Amino acid sequence: MDRDLLRQCLTHHGESLFNTLQCEQTENPDFQAVASDLAKATYERRGAGEGCSLVEQFIARKADILFCPTWRTAVPREDELEDEEATEPYAIMPPAELFMEVPFEERRAMLYRDLERGDAVVGRINNIREYGFFLTLLCAAGGLRRDIEDLELSALCHIKEIPSTGSHDDPLSYYQIGDLIRGGVKDLDRYQEKITVSLLPASLCPRLAHIKLGVVAREELPKHYSRGLRVANDTRETYERILRGCHGYHNPSVVEYLLGRAGVSDDRPPSLMRGLQSKHFHEEDFATVIRKKQSASWALKCVRSGVDHFKHGRHVEAMNEYNKALEIDTNNVEALVARGALYANKGGMMKAISDFELGLETCPDHRNAKKYLCQTLVERGKQLQEQEKFVTAEGLYRRALSLDDSYPEAQAALRRITDTIQKSIRLREEATAKETEKAKSGKTSAQKLRKILKDEKRMKKKRKRSSSSSSSSSSSSERPSLSPTSTTSSRRRSKKRRRKRGGSERGSQRRRRRSSKRSEEEEEEEEYPAPPNTSASFLYRQGFLGSGAGRGEGGEEGGEEEEEVVVDDRRISQLYSLSAASEDEGSEPRGGDGEGRRGRSFSSHGKGGRRRSRRGSSSESSAAREQGKARRRSGEGRRRSRGRSREEGRSSEEGRGRSREEGRRRSRGRSSEEGRSRGRSREEGRRRSRGRSSEEGRSSEEGRSSEEGRGRSREEGRRRSRGRSREEGRSSEEGRGRSREEGRSRGRSREDGRRRSTDEGRRRRKASPSSVESQRSRKSTVAAERPPACRRSSSGSLGQPAPPLAPPRRTSLDGGRLGHSQGHIPYIP
Amino acid sequence: MEDPSSRTAHDGPPGQVARGGSKSGGPAAHGGPPGQAARGGSNSGGPAAHGGPPGQAARGGSDSETDVTREIKTHFRVCRFIMESGVKLGMRSVPVATACELYHRFFECVSLRVYEPYLVAMSCVYLAGKVEEQHLRTRDIINVSHRYFHNASAPLECDREFWELRDSVVQCELLILRQLDFHVSFRHPHKYLLHYLMSVKALVNRHAWTRTPVAETAWALLRDCYHGVMCIHHAPQHIAIATLYLALNSYGVEMPVGEREWWQVLCEDVTKEDINAVISDLLQLYDMEAKCV
Repeated sequence: MDRDLLRQCLTHHGESLFNTLQCEQTENPDFQAVASDLAKATYERRGAGEGCSLVEQFIARKADILFCPTWRTAVPREDELEDEEATEPYAIMPPAELFMEVPFEERRAMLYRDLERGDAVVGRINNIREYGFFLTLLCAAGGLRRDIEDLELSALCHIKEIPSTGSHDDPLSYYQIGDLIRGGVKDLDRYQEKITVSLLPASLCPRLAHIKLGVVAREELPKHYSRGLRVANDTRETYERILRGCHGYHNPSVVEYLLGRAGVSDDRPPSLMRGLQSKHFHEEDFATVIRKKQSASWALKCVRSGVDHFKHGRHVEAMNEYNKALEIDTNNVEALVARGALYANKGGMMKAISDFELGLETCPDHRNAKKYLCQTLVERGKQLQEQEKFVTAEGLYRRALSLDDSYPEAQAALRRITDTIQKSIRLREEATAKETEKAKSGKTSAQKLRKILKDEKRMKKKRKRSSSSSSSSSSSSERPSLSPTSTTSSRRRSKKRRRKRGGSERGSQRRRRRSSKRSEEEEEEEEYPAPPNTSASFLYRQGFLGSGAGRGEGGEEGGEEEEEVVVDDRRISQLYSLSAASEDEGSEPRGGDGEGRRGRSFSSHGKGGRRRSRRGSSSESSAAREQGKARRRSGEGRRRSRGRSREEGRSSEEGRGRSREEGRRRSRGRSSEEGRSRGRSREEGRRRSRGRSSEEGRSSEEGRSSEEGRGRSREEGRRRSRGRSREEGRSSEEGRGRSREEGRSRGRSREDGRRRSTDEGRRRRKASPSSVESQRSRKSTVAAERPPACRRSSSGSLGQPAPPLAPPRRTSLDGGRLGHSQGHIPYIP
Repeated sequence: MEDPSSRTAHDGPPGQVARGGSKSGGPAAHGGPPGQAARGGSNSGGPAAHGGPPGQAARGGSDSETDVTREIKTHFRVCRFIMESGVKLGMRSVPVATACELYHRFFECVSLRVYEPYLVAMSCVYLAGKVEEQHLRTRDIINVSHRYFHNASAPLECDREFWELRDSVVQCELLILRQLDFHVSFRHPHKYLLHYLMSVKALVNRHAWTRTPVAETAWALLRDCYHGVMCIHHAPQHIAIATLYLALNSYGVEMPVGEREWWQVLCEDVTKEDINAVISDLLQLYDMEAKCV
């Protein structure tokens, strides 16, 4: 209990209150603690009267509330807002003592009691001396609102307290008798009744610091003073009349405003009723809390009936129920998990995964969500593995293991995929080596040239067609975008690409530089004058053309399904970018070597699907390759062909199919490898890679972007190849810091794994005297590996809906822990 | 405006909101089985399901009690319900005051036996939210009330019962509107009190003022006075002055004395007797709390 307050109260009410208090508060230990202290003082009774006893009884009964230190909620602050005078959010009333007609002496005493240093006052100059001027105070301008005009208060403003204006030696020359001056109270002698004011801003207390001191006009005088003048002049004016006439009184939110100023809380309003003390209000009784709970339970009901529908095979109805549940209660875990399970059963693995992930976000320990997510991830990983997207699959397995590191299926799958990746790297190396050999025994240059020209024509045609498809695909990519930045960037890139198409080589270069700003390395590559006839350029081109030829086969079927796949891939990468990124942290680039390795590993795993298609077309491609070679040799500018092929590559991809892109990407990957090898046998390698990359549609840099911009490959390519290859290129030099930033390099973790696995191969390769040879042979083997029929079928399966989950899992999914109950669908009022 | 319609509301209880005529004579007018007011008579958890502590207390009252005191007690309880719901719904003080005043004015001209007071209270809260532009959702009002009557119960399902409750509330709102002839906006003491507080504060030493929780106390007293019908029997200025007077008096704050008292200045027509009347009404309410709860 607040002892001072109690004492003040007792002084006012006298002995009888103390006695009542002792009766009423006998059980209050707080009061007993202060009672003895208070009892010592003697209180003379004053203002006694009937009714007083009732009030005293009330005070005594409520003393524990009234004198509780926590009862006072107002913070001791009264900042007067700058614009309060002007806007008048509440009625600014003249001082009440004006109406009360408080005697002169008492008012004067009150003023000297209450005026404080730092307050602002307004006065009229009545006398100017050489040491300052004297003011007759008119009113208080801040801090106090009192009627002081007739109190004959005189205040001195010393010359030292007048800010000098510089040029004038006598600051007093500014002021005349009769001027209205606003000043801050500098000092106050309560005994001598002397007031000194200052015109220096420092004399005001901080909360009044906005007030300007110096000469003021009549109109600037405070409102309470001018209204007070009206009262003084017109005896009919009453407090209430002025109140109603005030603008601020009619402010619709005046109550809230003044409550805020008074420091009273309207959220937890004070009450002297015992039953309304805020301690009796429990958080769970509040409307918002109940509503939340209710929404959850209503949503759960929907989920239940949805599960019921699901069990009876009515999947559409089930989906409707789940969606309704999520409408009622967004992020309802049960609904998300149930919907995810439904998606998974319908083959929408990615949708399922994102639902599960969302559910886990709101409720990280949800067992079913975790379990289903693991299962779905592995399932999706297997699908991807079938499509030979090993890197993505690997990422999914890793994510599954991060959720449940003892999940045997995921462990097994991860082991298997690591093996496969290593094997495929080896195969590739061999294939490349073989291909290089093959390439050596080519056709005549004339033949090649002819073929190339033919090819070109075809591509041009296709390009026209492709522009429309590219735009459609770009829009489709926006659809399920999880991360807006990546989508927009891809769009931007694709736009650029479109614009650039058909432009001059120069423009394209500029653009390229812009688009691949981050990879200095790549740009450098571009700058090298690539000799037209090197084996490197040849190889590169070979790859490109091969893929181009391949497009014819698998291309058309791809279509929309592919887009979906792409979208899925992107989502995957978005979902797992972070976890992957963290894994990568440890591995630092090891110069050109490391970089190369990494790049290679990409190409090897990441592009399984592509490789496949490429493989199918390898026979044609080799021919085309040769033609390309011939063409180049025959004196067409490298540049031109490059530019052309780039465009063609682009258009053809779009128009035709992903198979080609894949080819390109693959080749891209290859190019990076070569870039690496370049590091090794520098001139050759560089030249080669350069040539290749340039022709290949430069695929690695822009090609990437273009593809991304366009096809489904767009996303994949972007994410994977860009992130990856670029990073690598970059990373070696820049310490790959940026790759990390981009975060999308979920690829990183994958890369790590890859790198690991590839390390071997690379080392091997390095050791071999002619890396080029080995690469070539590798390529050819890859191509020969699978017969075309097989190839096609596998690529066709890409877009097909994924196989449903295994039966046992399905039962577990729908069984869940949700009971079933039929209920009508709730609607939220 | 629509005088005839309001008359019908008066004579014959319209809609399902009103209790059946046969019930009107029963002593269980306010302690009756829950759900009376709910349309369709779904049996559990009606808005009027005040079978809880308040209802019991009413039944426990002795027979010697006059109807008047019983009614006052009921009104006290219902107003307590309005205030509690107001806090839980996050209502500001003025809408709560409007809700209480709507309630009191409604029952000023209508018998407590004819209408279910808690349902009327819910509708008053809903209507007050509209009048004072702090719109509340019926769902929240029903939820909070349901929990008030069924302590710590699970929130209502979205079923027929819920919809019946909602219908009842909306119907009852129309009934109140017609009963009050659409005069639903009132002048409250709140605005006066806050302006008076500003004026009085200027009369007192600022340090003494910050030390003394006059504003909090006056505000609490003002809110509490809506437990009774005093809000419609006294002028808002008088209530504001009386609460401020009592708050200052409780802490023994000394006011300067002039030709006129500070309260005479703030309101021309207020007399010491008026203030005392308001205060004694108010203090009775505090006594009532001990009797009712």
